[in-house]
Amino acid sequence: MTSLSGLIPSWPRLRHIGACYAVLCAPVALLALFVYLPVIWAFSKSLYDFEIGGEVRFVGLANYIEFFTQDPTTYVAIRNVLIFTTAAVLIRLSVPLVVAKLIISLPNERWRHFYRVLFLLPVVVSGVAVLLIWTSLIYSQNGLLNELLRALGLQRFCRTWLGDPATAMGAVIFIGFPWVGGFEVLIYYAGLAAIPETVNEAARLEGCTGVRKFLLIDIPMVMSQLKLMLVLTIIAGIQSFQNLLIVTRGGPGYATYVPGLQMYYNAFSYQRFGYACAIGVLLFFLIFGLTILNMKYFKSSEELQAST
Amino acid sequence: MNLVRVIRHSCVGLALLVGGWALLPPNGSASPHSGTSPRRNARLTLRVMPGPFYAPGITPGGVGTPNRAFADVCAAYEQLHPDVAIAIEPSLGAVREYLVTQLSAGKAPDIVMVNVEDVWADVHKGWYVPLDEYLEQPNPYCKPGQPGSLKWWDQFKYQAISRAKTAPDGKMYCITYDMVETGIFYNKAIFRQLGLAIPRTWDEFETIMSTLRAAGYTPIQMLATLYVDWAVDLFLDQLYYDILPGIDLHQDPVREVYLQGYLDYDEICFLFDRGFFTRHDPRYRELWQLIRRFRQFANKDIVSEDMLRAFITQRAAMLWSASPLCYRLAADPDIGFDWGVFYLPRFTTNTSPFASDVDMCVIGGAGVQYEVTSSAYADTGNPATSPRLAQVIDFLRFLTAPENYEKIVNEHPLMIPNIIGVPVLPLMQPFAEILQRRYTTTKWCYTFDLQFLDIISRTLPLYLDDHITLEELLSWQERNLAAARHRFARRKHIDFAPLQRRWDELAGVRATMQGLPSPPPP
Repeated sequence: MTSLSGLIPSWPRLRHIGACYAVLCAPVALLALFVYLPVIWAFSKSLYDFEIGGEVRFVGLANYIEFFTQDPTTYVAIRNVLIFTTAAVLIRLSVPLVVAKLIISLPNERWRHFYRVLFLLPVVVSGVAVLLIWTSLIYSQNGLLNELLRALGLQRFCRTWLGDPATAMGAVIFIGFPWVGGFEVLIYYAGLAAIPETVNEAARLEGCTGVRKFLLIDIPMVMSQLKLMLVLTIIAGIQSFQNLLIVTRGGPGYATYVPGLQMYYNAFSYQRFGYACAIGVLLFFLIFGLTILNMKYFKSSEELQAST
Repeated sequence: MNLVRVIRHSCVGLALLVGGWALLPPNGSASPHSGTSPRRNARLTLRVMPGPFYAPGITPGGVGTPNRAFADVCAAYEQLHPDVAIAIEPSLGAVREYLVTQLSAGKAPDIVMVNVEDVWADVHKGWYVPLDEYLEQPNPYCKPGQPGSLKWWDQFKYQAISRAKTAPDGKMYCITYDMVETGIFYNKAIFRQLGLAIPRTWDEFETIMSTLRAAGYTPIQMLATLYVDWAVDLFLDQLYYDILPGIDLHQDPVREVYLQGYLDYDEICFLFDRGFFTRHDPRYRELWQLIRRFRQFANKDIVSEDMLRAFITQRAAMLWSASPLCYRLAADPDIGFDWGVFYLPRFTTNTSPFASDVDMCVIGGAGVQYEVTSSAYADTGNPATSPRLAQVIDFLRFLTAPENYEKIVNEHPLMIPNIIGVPVLPLMQPFAEILQRRYTTTKWCYTFDLQFLDIISRTLPLYLDDHITLEELLSWQERNLAAARHRFARRKHIDFAPLQRRWDELAGVRATMQGLPSPPPP
């Protein structure tokens, strides 16, 4: 049996703990003020018909019902975000991983370092600048893509890539090609570098090399990184609106319209803050649910190792 | 070693200083859009947003001399009232978003220029001052015996149009400062060369456009926004005008003088419930098909093309635009052809079996509209006791005094004067004649809210460019109207009972009409 005196910390330790809490107080207060309170506020306002300067009326779940039954843009936005998020997941979970594998396979550390830096450098370029480059220099009527097609005698394929509903979504997904984000490459590189040398050695002795090793050994061993990227990509995909706002404003028509844009327009263009809050709350639950599903069913490499 | 470091750091510092100096704006190069600074010793500074047509420093159409008359009139007012200063606020593109944030913060300019229909969406918030009682009072800047010396209202030339700007709550929130109207600008040289005359009917108009197209010209230049705003309203009027006696359910005693048979949002909602403006309404179906037929004569890219360039370079024979373009065309020394203006001709029964066969109505009317915001009585919080508001109203009256007004409105031929006694400039004369026509049946863009407008603005261009079918467009529009109706019923508590009573009374009138929609199943 533990004595009572053993449970009560000594005065210096109490002082140390107190100081830690005191230091934590300010950031926690700021976090509560600027993150949690607005979220709670949004939850509560989603039950109101509320616009700036106007009357605030309690409408219960009417905003949610309107989202699913009245708003003609809802289902097209959901369909689009599913396509965008699926494409983003496929891209971010494959291309940077392959590039990271290629880099780590280089025999010389100096070259490995060079390529890591090479792929990381574009991260410093502003995302807005990248989008503007794509919209005005590559996709425009006289942009790189159309000029290239004309030079190849394929002018019948020339079009306003972002202005044609048939190509707008593909064109938006294509932005950032060849999709080798420095951040993702570094994460996968770290995962691949952490694979124990004994595992690599065993694979070599078993004759498991090349693509076979990549598929059977490397990918399961970087499952933690894949899981992280999956969660981050899904969250970013469902929340996304700023890139589309800059590039297409959700158009042409509703070809690239997503729930994030729907929320933004309702809040800031149509001034329907209550309804926008309801969309935000629904997005929150969607992301939360998908994250939980991911945590539950997508096992990391550590969990895989533990289960075997 | 230290010396090298000192020299190196000094060089970097010097480079930063020189770079910073180079980025400083030169003296006196303030942007013409940045407004004017008020005098420091003034007791009261009134903030005024004159709008893009009259803002000092702006060069209308990018040709000729920049505006200065508004600033001169402000200076004259300051001279008359030494304790008052006028601060001119810049004109902004996204004026609504700007205003909403400024108004909600109580920091909006005292006088703003915005389409009053946009104001109506916010009047219940108390952001704007009703001007009715001031309009009933004399304008002290009118000489005795002049219109306005007894009642400010009397100064306004286009009474019906101006009074029709009364908000649905029955109050007047704007001064209709001038008039604007649309028209078809045409290249006389091309018309002469092909032996074409100004069309009297829509069928002739279509024949002319076919001839122009066969001759290698783009018949008419139009932007997507014009189809959504102007074309929809004009075409709808042509198709529905003759059935208005059976479906116009509410007559406003004030607005009806000008808005004869106008369909307000409550009437549209009521009619929608009875199958109007749905796929079951043959006129509504016809409306979109006719717009699509019209679109085939227009420029290929209706979203991003420079409308004016093709007209000026004589690749396009016509351009649908508004009165301010006259100045641009007249002042440009490089335009080497004669041009004229005519108005869109009427539909006939050849155009559509539903054509009312009446002259095309107008869709312009009130141009620059000035509203007084709640910032004007921020000093006391009460409009009745606010000296600041009294000064703001006084300034507005000064702006409408004929001698000041003429300086501002006739500085460049952009708008048609709305003050009695102020002459119409010759370039504006055709538009003054067009303005004599009756007003449209409804303004779809302003009937409902911004979401309704957004949906129609996004989907109609898709239909016009064959990206969606007519059925898909009708489906979008039905859902759009249903959603707007739902929002309005929830927010504005529409009382449908009086409309139902009137609807029942008009049953006999409708019984004689053809092509009415059958009501949808309950």
